[in-house]
Amino acid sequence: MKVDQVLNVLKAALGEGLAHTEVRVRRVGAKAPVELKEIWAEIDRDAIVPAVAALKALGPLHMSVISGQDAGERIELLYHIAVGYGTEGGEVMVTLRLAVPKDDARVPSICHLIPGAETTEREKIEFLGVEFVGIPDSRHVFLPDDLPVHPWRKDEPEMERFLRRMVEWEGKDG
Amino acid sequence: MSGVHLVWQAAAVMVGSGVVGLVYKGLDRKLAARMQARVGPPLRQPFLDLGKLLMKETVVPRDAVGWLFSAMPFLAAVASFTALLYLPWGPFPPILRGYGDAVLVLYLLAVPALAMALGGFASGSPLATVGGQREIVMLMSYEFPLAVALVGVVWRLRALEVGPAFSLATISANPLWTAVGPLGVFGLAILLGCLLVVTPAELSKIPFDIPEAETEIAGGLMVEYSGTYLALFYLADAVKTVAMAALVVTLFIPYGIAAPLGVKGVGGQVLDVAFFLVKVFVVMFAAVTTVRVAMARFKVDQVVRGFWLQITAAAVAGLVLLVLDKAVMG
Amino acid sequence: MAEAENTFRIPIGPIHPALKEPIRLSFQVEGERIVGVEIRTGFAHRGIEYMGMRRNLIQVLYLAERICGICSISHPIALTQAVEQAAGIEVPPRAQYIRVIISELERIHSHLLWAGVAAHELGFDTLLHLTWKVREKVLDILEELTGNRINYAIPIYGGVRRDIAPDQHPKVQDTIRYYRGLLDELLDTFLRDPSVEARTRGVGVLEPEEADALCAVGPTARASGLAKDVRQDRPYLAYGELGVKAITPRDWGLEPRGDVYDKIVVRLLEVGQSLDLIERALLEMPDGEITSFPKIPALLAHLKKAHGEGLGWHEAPRGEVIHYVRLEAGVEEPVVWKVKAPTYSNLMSWEPMFEGQEIADIPIIAASIDPCICCMDRVHMVRDGSEATMHKEELLRLSREKTRRITDHGSRITGLGGVR
Repeated sequence: MKVDQVLNVLKAALGEGLAHTEVRVRRVGAKAPVELKEIWAEIDRDAIVPAVAALKALGPLHMSVISGQDAGERIELLYHIAVGYGTEGGEVMVTLRLAVPKDDARVPSICHLIPGAETTEREKIEFLGVEFVGIPDSRHVFLPDDLPVHPWRKDEPEMERFLRRMVEWEGKDG
Repeated sequence: MSGVHLVWQAAAVMVGSGVVGLVYKGLDRKLAARMQARVGPPLRQPFLDLGKLLMKETVVPRDAVGWLFSAMPFLAAVASFTALLYLPWGPFPPILRGYGDAVLVLYLLAVPALAMALGGFASGSPLATVGGQREIVMLMSYEFPLAVALVGVVWRLRALEVGPAFSLATISANPLWTAVGPLGVFGLAILLGCLLVVTPAELSKIPFDIPEAETEIAGGLMVEYSGTYLALFYLADAVKTVAMAALVVTLFIPYGIAAPLGVKGVGGQVLDVAFFLVKVFVVMFAAVTTVRVAMARFKVDQVVRGFWLQITAAAVAGLVLLVLDKAVMG
Repeated sequence: MAEAENTFRIPIGPIHPALKEPIRLSFQVEGERIVGVEIRTGFAHRGIEYMGMRRNLIQVLYLAERICGICSISHPIALTQAVEQAAGIEVPPRAQYIRVIISELERIHSHLLWAGVAAHELGFDTLLHLTWKVREKVLDILEELTGNRINYAIPIYGGVRRDIAPDQHPKVQDTIRYYRGLLDELLDTFLRDPSVEARTRGVGVLEPEEADALCAVGPTARASGLAKDVRQDRPYLAYGELGVKAITPRDWGLEPRGDVYDKIVVRLLEVGQSLDLIERALLEMPDGEITSFPKIPALLAHLKKAHGEGLGWHEAPRGEVIHYVRLEAGVEEPVVWKVKAPTYSNLMSWEPMFEGQEIADIPIIAASIDPCICCMDRVHMVRDGSEATMHKEELLRLSREKTRRITDHGSRITGLGGVR
């Protein structure tokens, strides 16, 4: 799998939906370092499904994880996807970045394309309060079902109080 | 035999077998540990365990059928001890020889397993329920080869016309190996093999510890038992181990050592009892300790298939050989 | 379900002898057969990423190391690579080789640990004790090289914290020889034992299509025949030069079936692969610096100025670990830190593996992905049967009450077992 090939496929599939792409180079190896390229792309929210579909058509696909950040007014999600495992050095790491406004934090789910993405999508629901449209199961994974806060949201006044109370009690144990 | 005589003899056997059972359990654990490259617990560990369990609080779960749950440990312990009263101890004939025979011993050995299964069902825990189902299935699968092995010996003995064939005293007094022909020796060897395979199953030891399977159902049948009740099951298990090994010894290796050595009187009797205990230990070591060290746990369907097909076939083959032997020897 | 009255629920966990860590598997069973499973995680969630986003990067490194005791080098390796990419730090060649050596040693100890656990789940305790006995040797060499049996504290941003001295080389080579001699014996005991085969063949099958769709990683995916290994697919550190090939059951001359047996095959063969890698790495390791920032304050200052984001990955013994880090100039702590542990990816493969199996197979199937719950779960909360969260005050009150109850009348051996 070549980086250009992946880029072209993404461009063809997304068109306008692909806001920005960047190829980052990583020097890998100790004695004779080689350059390893990875793709970082910014896409529209609705472009995530066609993007993943295009990558899936390209070769064996591995969904690593979705990471996310509360960036003030928006919530940013980064899909870390690797295309083309099975050959030596043949895998290309693609990071798709998309942002959703906080008052409308909805993203289409990619579970129908990659069933294995369910755990990580569910995790984003509980930690960032993002809604994934079309996810087969939206229960919490790691946090208790009745936890009122989304811990990675920075506008959660409840979280600070919650934490302070736990830390205070922690101190009284010894 | 006078009643008083009977009582003190029975008491001696019960206390003795309890102690022997626990000592053997300690030996079993120590030897298994050495074979697994571990240090292992001290020999008196089973006594310490029993003492500690007796001191602990006995909890009856809220969902349990109380009386059944509480009665079963006693039933298991009583049945295990009673089985010993029907077994000969080396030179001494069974204490209750006039009141029951080999078939009764088989029933008595099945009672602790049934008691454990009932207690498990009564405890209301789903894990114990699974354990109970497994115990019953196991019981159904190993009883048949066990019965065939016993019947084989008894039937051949009857043909020799040496007394009441089902009496364990008769069986113990008339070693079959020398009384039968080469076919019979072969048949007996097969039956002994079957019995040795059945022994760990009867005692629920690895690879047949399916009803308790710690890693699967967290102790299964025993999961809700604690304190005194657990101590009783613990004791019943130790005693049943001795009883089962003693049954194998009685059926297949009932030889004494005093007579060939020419020791007579009390000394001879002591020597024979000691030799009997050694034989019991050897059987336990061969059928329980080494097997549980060398194998993984089977699944219940694998066990059932094995016992109903292979082991039963082998037992029946042994029986057929004995029948042929009778025909040849006349 | 048509036969709903014939099925009943068996809870395995959160605390259960088959599980070394808390997770709840709720099985719907029909007799001995499993017809459904529900997985609930989060019992070991400690909010490590949350904590990390409130600490400086050096502290985060130590926190990463404590995500899991068994993969205690995998997380730091992934994290340092992510930070190095974000901050533009070069790693000296020698340091890369040292990271490889330590992480391969960890793989050996982790796979041996797993083999022992697997044997225990099968009820084969002798094999457990023997495997764990031979595992001591690799822990000894790890202690010799790093000072610790686990939590090695070796990688740091820009290099490693300890060198491998020339007089330590023979000790490492000794260890390699020891395991070379032992490996055949291990393969023989595990793969040719009829009772192990009877319990693992055809049990907990994960079809290759399922493994691919569910994004399984590590030996779980490789046992199904997928040649998926981060060291091979996306080379990093010195792995590209050392040449790593993903190991599947084909290397043992078997067509992959994806069952537990195949998972044993893959893990044991990987022990051999790690031995080769360590030997080569030790031989080819260049001389030179072991870190580009010998002074921690200088490193911290550099990291504080850094602005950027990075991804770091590593093939942990259980599969792909991936860390994402974003740094902002002028801020000491990472703005974003996302950790993905292998079990996180393998969690969903449990469902197809459990379906249609027997209760007796639960422990070994659960163990077959080598679950590392603490890695995956990373709020300290305890729940009772009800849906309400039990807070810590309440829990503390309950436990004190219990202590009082026991010391007042329950225990007859006060002074020994009783708590005062």
